[in-house]
Amino acid sequence: MIKYNWFFEQSPETVWKFLTTSELIAQWLMKTEFEPVLGHKFMFKTSPYLPLDFDGNIYCEVLEIEPVKKLVYSWKSGSGEGKINVDTIVTWMLIPKKNGTELILEHTGFDDLTNATLYEMMNKGWDQNVSVKMGKLFNTKLQNETTGN
Amino acid sequence: MKQQAIDPFQAVGDPSRRQMLRLLSKESLTINALAENFDMTRPAVSKHVKILFTAGFISIEDIGRERHCILKQNGFKQLQQWIDYFDQFWAVKLKKLEDLLNEKAKRL
Repeated sequence: MIKYNWFFEQSPETVWKFLTTSELIAQWLMKTEFEPVLGHKFMFKTSPYLPLDFDGNIYCEVLEIEPVKKLVYSWKSGSGEGKINVDTIVTWMLIPKKNGTELILEHTGFDDLTNATLYEMMNKGWDQNVSVKMGKLFNTKLQNETTGN
Repeated sequence: MKQQAIDPFQAVGDPSRRQMLRLLSKESLTINALAENFDMTRPAVSKHVKILFTAGFISIEDIGRERHCILKQNGFKQLQQWIDYFDQFWAVKLKKLEDLLNEKAKRL
């Protein structure tokens, strides 16, 4: 999961306007035909990113909307020709603060695995782990060889 | 013809395949040993293994008469790349929103 807490000096009403008015969204996020209506389908367009096979189109649908408090939309993208390979959810939450607004952004749908042990493994010296396994498998001292260089 | 790529989200979207990855994160297993953990037919297990293989999560080594499934880094790396990509993306956009709001406030 990707999560950001961002503080703005403006009121929740003002921040909300910038999250839900298509002309304003276009000025900081991307061009869109967003409408603050439950079930409304819209798109965002950004530059393609070839290393991830991403054509730059993001397909969205408003899943939840609670004025000045919460906005949820689906966030799907793919490599083109209607093929979707990222199927995620974007959630915005606004919390009124004394001198402004705390905006919470959660981008979820990646987390199934990232919360799991596998993710920890990945961050804890995977290479060593794999070489130990390979070493066991082939019953050789592979680990010494790989760590030796 | 280029082989049909399987994206990592699709590969880990299935609970059985996630369970397979968890088992393989502990030790490498033959397809038969892996299959013992699941209430499904051997061809069904092979199909899942093939998807994990194609998406880069595992490699398959023939050792003797057995096929061993070994966890591989590539698939995980790609998932992480997506997360990194959007993480960066949102950081930039939120900063832009902040600048925009401050700029508008000044003009009012």
